[in-house]
Amino acid sequence: MTATIRARNLSRHYGKNRALDRVDLDIPAGRIVGLVGPNGAGKTTALKAILGLGRYDGELEVLGLDPSKSRDRLMEDVCFIADVAVLPRWARVKHIIQLCEELHPRFSRDQCMFYLNHTKIGMDSKVKSLSKGMVVQLHLALVMAIDAKLLVLDEPTLGLDIIFRKRFYSNLLNEYFDEERTIVITTHQVEEIEHILTDLIFIRDGRLILNSTMDDIHERYTEVMVKPDRVEEARGMKPLHERVLFGRHILLFDQADTARLRELGEIHKPSVADLFVALMGEDEVADSPIADNRGVAV
Amino acid sequence: MKTQFVKTLWALMRRELWESPVAFKWTPIGIGIFLIFLSILSFIIYTQFDASLASLYDGLRLLADRSAENRGLAVKAGLFSVAALFFQLMLLIILFYLSGSLYDDRKDRSILFWKSLPVSDSLTVASKLLTACLLVPAMFLLAIMATQLVLLLFASILSLMAGLNPFSLFILPAGLPRLWSVMAAGLLVQALWLLPIYAWIAFCSSWAPRLPILIAFGIPAGIALIQHSWSLATSFTLPATNIGWIILQRLGSGALPSNVNIEIGSTSNMNFDENTFMSFAHLVDVILDPAMWIGLLIAAFFITGAIWFRRRSTDN
Repeated sequence: MTATIRARNLSRHYGKNRALDRVDLDIPAGRIVGLVGPNGAGKTTALKAILGLGRYDGELEVLGLDPSKSRDRLMEDVCFIADVAVLPRWARVKHIIQLCEELHPRFSRDQCMFYLNHTKIGMDSKVKSLSKGMVVQLHLALVMAIDAKLLVLDEPTLGLDIIFRKRFYSNLLNEYFDEERTIVITTHQVEEIEHILTDLIFIRDGRLILNSTMDDIHERYTEVMVKPDRVEEARGMKPLHERVLFGRHILLFDQADTARLRELGEIHKPSVADLFVALMGEDEVADSPIADNRGVAV
Repeated sequence: MKTQFVKTLWALMRRELWESPVAFKWTPIGIGIFLIFLSILSFIIYTQFDASLASLYDGLRLLADRSAENRGLAVKAGLFSVAALFFQLMLLIILFYLSGSLYDDRKDRSILFWKSLPVSDSLTVASKLLTACLLVPAMFLLAIMATQLVLLLFASILSLMAGLNPFSLFILPAGLPRLWSVMAAGLLVQALWLLPIYAWIAFCSSWAPRLPILIAFGIPAGIALIQHSWSLATSFTLPATNIGWIILQRLGSGALPSNVNIEIGSTSNMNFDENTFMSFAHLVDVILDPAMWIGLLIAAFFITGAIWFRRRSTDN
């Protein structure tokens, strides 16, 4: 069985700026992978390479195909949503559905209508008359109606209200996902997806900082809310990160002795967001004003 | 496999129709309505001067007295002149359509949606050019046919009022089936004749960072200007031919009757016959013209270029 995505030495330069720096990546089938990184970290560049939408150096295979050469064949088994919904503004909803039905061999109109029935989107409306959230809803319905092997979601729920976001992720998990399929998802709202992920990748400056299954991560990292009198002792154990919450010191440890940590205070598993701050935090603070200005592109 | 290919192409071409209903559907319908309205208006104005319609009846009788061949020529001249306005506007619409065809979706980022469909970039480019060469002419031809039918009906009613047989006066001489098939073939040959220009504009549309229409017209115009200045500066003469002139000549020639193929000889005896407007014989001449084949070669070059850029283009 070939991996869904296999990359070796994947690189991409924009001038001197390395958007992707010799990335090795293996994603087997049946995973839900979260790709998390600050703005400008190379997430979108990586996704574009995978989708055959951008050039790259190095080796890349997606479902056994070279995306830069066979985008059209790849798209029979892959579907994606870019960071903003990019449906043509002039089109009517019924036209887009008809186009997908005629152009996509794995598109199911029934499935699409099933998802759209939960929304207020009219068949005759033009995309430009829909609200931003409705366009995203429409795009998600279209994409989830495709029986694809790989689903790539780049900030899929941007601009959606919390009810729809919850419903979307639950649909994704309960109705869409199965062992044959792979989902790669990027989002800034990591807390919303962490419970559905099987794998987590942190990326910064075009390099993978973390690439691991959620099970391994839970095994490896431990967070301790240290008793006030034991803080110095805990600091001596080389924590990855320390933060203060309501006057209590919370320290994050990598592969530490849990029995000892338990003596120092209350231990629990760190959330993805906490882990993100711990692993990427320092530089991120320095970078963020520039990174934010650059927006979500790159 | 083959049927899927045709199905995909057809779906892509219908998409173009959905995107530009004003240009492809409402413009030809509008021109038709405008021409019919103009005819009715001129008739009404005419009745203000001649309420009894006497001179009109006289004119119709005069036409009825002419030989069958002359009648046919006169009726066809009228019907072709109806088509002329359609053809001119169609060319403008096609040029503007092509300049945006591979640019608009890059600008509004919907290219990411189009590229998420399992459709190759060559098929996408092909669908745009086929829309320009087949779909748009077909839409305009339908409107022309409808307009001609309405105007013929109008003329037939007038001839009945004058006590003349509309079949022998208008309908049979018009030879509609032959007229329409020569027009359809003519539009097709004309599309091939203009394909190098169409392909050039689609090529510019595929890479232009902005304003593809200005770039598509500006580059040849700039080259022509440089050529002129150079020639003038070095030898004090204007060049015999230049690229701008070649393109303009191409746009203004070919198979369409609006570029009336009158050959004014030294004796200036204009030879008015069926060939004046459009005929199968003339179409064959256009096809066999070496300029046609050189043009197709140039078109193939630019189409390849357009596909090359399309493959690499994303939303930024």
